[in-house]
Amino acid sequence: MKICMLTWEFPPRIVGGIARHCNGLAKALASLGHDVHVFTLDFPGAPGYEEVEGVKVYRTVTELGHPNFLTWALLFNHFLEKRMGDVDREVRFDVLHAHDWLTATAGISFKHHTEKPLVATIHSTEIGRAQGLHNPDSLAIDGIEWWAAYEANKVIVTSGSMKGELGDHFHVPWEKLEIIANGISLEKFQESSIDKQSIRGRYGVGPNEKLVLCVGRLVPQKGIEHLVRAVPMIVGRFAEAKCVIVGEGWLRDYLERIARFTGHQWKIRFTGFIPDSDLVALMKSADVLVVPSIYEPFGIVALEGMAAGVPVVASQVGGLAEVVEHDRTGIFVYARNPQSIAWGVNRVLSDPGHAEWLTRNAKEGVQKAYSWEAIAKRTVEVYKEVVG
Amino acid sequence: MHAETGFSSSPQLSEELRLLRMLHNVGATSLEKSLSLQQICEWTEMESSAVSLHLEKLVATGYVQFMKADDTDKYHVTLDGMRKVLSMYS
Repeated sequence: MKICMLTWEFPPRIVGGIARHCNGLAKALASLGHDVHVFTLDFPGAPGYEEVEGVKVYRTVTELGHPNFLTWALLFNHFLEKRMGDVDREVRFDVLHAHDWLTATAGISFKHHTEKPLVATIHSTEIGRAQGLHNPDSLAIDGIEWWAAYEANKVIVTSGSMKGELGDHFHVPWEKLEIIANGISLEKFQESSIDKQSIRGRYGVGPNEKLVLCVGRLVPQKGIEHLVRAVPMIVGRFAEAKCVIVGEGWLRDYLERIARFTGHQWKIRFTGFIPDSDLVALMKSADVLVVPSIYEPFGIVALEGMAAGVPVVASQVGGLAEVVEHDRTGIFVYARNPQSIAWGVNRVLSDPGHAEWLTRNAKEGVQKAYSWEAIAKRTVEVYKEVVG
Repeated sequence: MHAETGFSSSPQLSEELRLLRMLHNVGATSLEKSLSLQQICEWTEMESSAVSLHLEKLVATGYVQFMKADDTDKYHVTLDGMRKVLSMYS
C-alpha cells in the first residue's frame, strides 16, 4: 500500500510524542512491505529528503512566515500540500494519514483533491491540553480538530479515554473511532552496557543519591508543578533523593521559580531537552519515574519507563489509567496532588523488593502489547477498511 | 493566586516568550534567516529598547542566537528556542 503520512514533527524535529509515534509507525509499516512517504517540516541540519529504514521523508521549507501562529500553521500546510502533490504525481498514494490538527488542513484539502481516503490520528485535543477553551486561538484549534474528525474516513485514537473525549466533545460516531495504542521501540531499552554512575553524574546525581526522574514537555498539562511541590516531602523522607526534570517548554521559568520557592532548588535539576540516547540511559539509571500529568491521552513516557525497567509512579488520568495497573505494574497517585505524589515516590523508594516486582510485571506487559509491529498491523487494517 | 506561593494559578506567556514565538513564526530559525533589531521592531511594533531587553534575556537563556553581520546585530531562534515555542501548541 502507498501511504502518505503527514506530521508536523518527525525526528530530529522532536517536540512531544508525535515525532516518536510517527517514526515508530512509519518504520514498522515500511518493514511490513508498505511504501511509506512522510511529509513534515524542515529542521536545521536535517536533509530536505532522505530515506530512513525504508521510509521516505520529505522535509518541507515554509517559504512564508507570519507572526500569528495559526496563520503560520496554514502557511506550512499549504507548502506541505504542494510537496505532496508533486510526489503524488509519481507515486499515486492509496491512503492519507494526518496526525493531529497541525497537518489537518493539508490532509483534508488533499483528500478532496485526490479523492483518496483520509485517516486522522488525533493524539490529544485542545480542550484537554488547555483544560478548556480560554481564548480565540484555542477555539480555532478546537474547530480544526472537529473538522479533521468530521472529514476523516476513520479516526484513530490511542486510548479509550481519548475515544470517550472525541465521542463526547466532537460527537464523532463511535464506529468511526478506532483505538490503536502507541507503541515503543523495545530494542532501544534493551541496551545493557549503560554506565549508570557516569550518566547520573552527568546530570548531577551522586552515586548514593536516589534519582527521581520526570520526563515531559514543560507545559501545564504535564503537571510537573505538582511534582516540584512534592520534592520537600520526598526529601523529608529520603534526604538522598534528587529530582531530575527532563524536557523543554514555555512553562520552564515558572517551574524554576516554584522550585526556588520550595527552598529545595538544589534538589531539583532542569536539564532542558536531551538526546534520546541520554534519555534512555537516564531512565535505566533512575530509581523512580514520576508521570504527574493532569491530562494525558496516552502516556508514552510511562510506557517507556516500564520498558526501561524503572518503577513508575503516575497520575490516574486519561490513557495513563489504561497503561498502568495500580500496584501491579506501577503506582497510581492523585493528579494535582503533591502529597499523593510524595506518597507514591516513597512507596517505591521504601520497598525495593516491591519496586522490583512492579518493574518485572511492567516489562512483561509492555513486551506483549506495545510493539510497533503489532500496532502497524492494526493500522493497516484501518487503511484497508477505508480504501475498500 | 496560589495561597502558598503567591504565583498565579494559570501562568501566562511572558513578553520575551511572545517575542520568541514571533521570531519563530516569521521564520527566523537559522543563521541565514536571522533578523536585525530594526526588522524585529517592524514585525512586533515594539519599542527597540523593549525588544533589546527581551532579546538580551533570550540570548542569555540560549533560546536566541546573536551574530554580527556587516556591522548589524542579527538574531535567530535556536533549536531549544524552537522546542520552547512548539511546546505552546502541542
